[in-house]
Amino acid sequence: MDNSHCPKILIVDDEKGLRIGTKRLLEGEGYVVETAENGYDGIKLGTTTEFDLAIIDLKMPDIDGIQVMKEILKVYPDSVCLIATGYASYETAIEAIKFGAFSYIPKPFTPEELFQKLTQGYSRRELIIEKKKWKQEREERLLEVAFEKSRLNTIINSITDGLLVVNKNGEAVLYNPSALKSLGFDQIKIEEYILDKLHPQIADLINKFLSSETCEQKSFSSQVELKANRELIVEATSSPVLNPDGTLAGVVVVLQDITELKKIEFLKSQFVSMVSHELKAPIAAVYGYLKLFSDTSIPLTEEQKMNYLNRSQIRLDGLLKMVNDLLDISRMELKTVNKEIKDVDLPSIIRPIIELFQIDIKKKNISVTIEASEKLPHLKADQDEVSRLFTNLISNSIKYNKTDGSIAVNITASGNYLITEIKDTGIGMKPAERAKLFQEFFRAKNDKTKDISGTGLGLSIVKRIVDSYSGKMEVESEFNIGTSFKIFLPLRYENNNNV
Amino acid sequence: MQSDVKKKILLVDDDIDLLEQNKILLESKGYHVITADSSKQGWELFESEKPDAAIIDLIMEEHDSGFVLSYKIKKDNYGKNIPVIVLTSAAYFTGFKFSASTREEKEWIRCDEIINKPVEADELVKKLESYFALKNS
Repeated sequence: MDNSHCPKILIVDDEKGLRIGTKRLLEGEGYVVETAENGYDGIKLGTTTEFDLAIIDLKMPDIDGIQVMKEILKVYPDSVCLIATGYASYETAIEAIKFGAFSYIPKPFTPEELFQKLTQGYSRRELIIEKKKWKQEREERLLEVAFEKSRLNTIINSITDGLLVVNKNGEAVLYNPSALKSLGFDQIKIEEYILDKLHPQIADLINKFLSSETCEQKSFSSQVELKANRELIVEATSSPVLNPDGTLAGVVVVLQDITELKKIEFLKSQFVSMVSHELKAPIAAVYGYLKLFSDTSIPLTEEQKMNYLNRSQIRLDGLLKMVNDLLDISRMELKTVNKEIKDVDLPSIIRPIIELFQIDIKKKNISVTIEASEKLPHLKADQDEVSRLFTNLISNSIKYNKTDGSIAVNITASGNYLITEIKDTGIGMKPAERAKLFQEFFRAKNDKTKDISGTGLGLSIVKRIVDSYSGKMEVESEFNIGTSFKIFLPLRYENNNNV
Repeated sequence: MQSDVKKKILLVDDDIDLLEQNKILLESKGYHVITADSSKQGWELFESEKPDAAIIDLIMEEHDSGFVLSYKIKKDNYGKNIPVIVLTSAAYFTGFKFSASTREEKEWIRCDEIINKPVEADELVKKLESYFALKNS
């Protein structure tokens, strides 16, 4: 007998002597025994506590023993019941077993007969308990597996990268919605051959593993344009899925959307080619003059020579300006400019700039007026940057002005902004030119501008400076009438470099 | 030059330095050169001067100004019979290599030759002379 758990036994019998005798006998053997002297008491006891075993008398004055057993089994179906009967007969035994009794025991019984039956009954009970425990554990385990699986599925379905797993026959095994979307499929049928439906580059990535005998744990990547015109470009990476024994089970492909990255890359290379082109033009011009000078078969007059030297100098000068502007832009892009934020009085920055351009202003006979409201608040800004900003704008308003034209600078404070308007009576812009105004290297090309030199970077720099102070710009322009720039600079500087 | 009368070449380029240099080079090879620094002026000169050949820079006001002008010239009754050469440095910064060597290309690019810059004067002269020779034969 297992000592760790004393079997609990219920004895239901109307015979007092048998009840007491059996109880004493069993308690002596280590059983825990309770007794009931009639059927109803038996039901009451047997349905409030779960007994391992119950010995129930078949014939009792109030209620049939089989009935008692039925009620107990209704509540505790794992209790093992023995029917004790003085009228032992084949029929009653069969009937008792039919209704759920484990066995029957004929009365009167010897202690040996009783112990034998109880030992058998208790083994049965232990088996039942064990089975139940296993069943419960299995159900819990299954639940856990199901939960893990659904959790994994949820995760796979949530990731933005596309995921596709194929087995070694090239049949789809697993995929997520992102993969479906990237590949442009309405659906993927599981266990259907899929390699012929995939973009050839992706199929190649998978075949690298499927067609090779060895399965090394390494990955292959390539950039695949899944939708034409750079609409969808992915970085596809294939890796092997290995069995525990190291053989190939399948291949997993991850599709990462790199469309935006490629767009930026494209813009960057476009910028680089534009820069190269712009830098090349003056070099080619100077190089051409040098070639003319060195070609002895071409006679040049002194006047021509002087003119060519002069032109070369002008082109190189423009080249130098452009390189300086480019360096400024690159510094701004890299945010390596350390702003030295100080109180800045805008009129006292703008006046010296106009002084600087006096020669050009006089040459074109332009009249310049500066108007500033009294007690103008100071800006918090980097003096050099503000100076650079207005130098570019004022230089433009002179360069693109007409002879005898005018420039009006007007500075006012409004709310949290200092507004500077620079209005010229220059050549103005057509709407199409106006739209491209801040593009790097864009310069309106027409009869009026062809003799004006410039890098095409000035306004691009202006815009970058204004943006870096979270300011804004308004441009109004009418072709042949003039252009007005309105610069809004916030009074307080907020460092938004980290945003 | 074989003929006594100097051939008249129209040069169109918005870079006035390259315009000047090519003018000097072609003049030194015995041509009469007229120059324009915009497509508009180029077309005006073409109409008034009736040159024997036109050499046009591709990128001027627009990225394809040279093609537009050459198309216009080639559609003209007089212009269709003169050689038109387009100069380009596009190959250097776009990777695109224009050519007008096949019939299809000539369908939409109406010019006889596309030459990548920088141009060697001798090469340009050779091309021009081969066109003039073809016309005379």
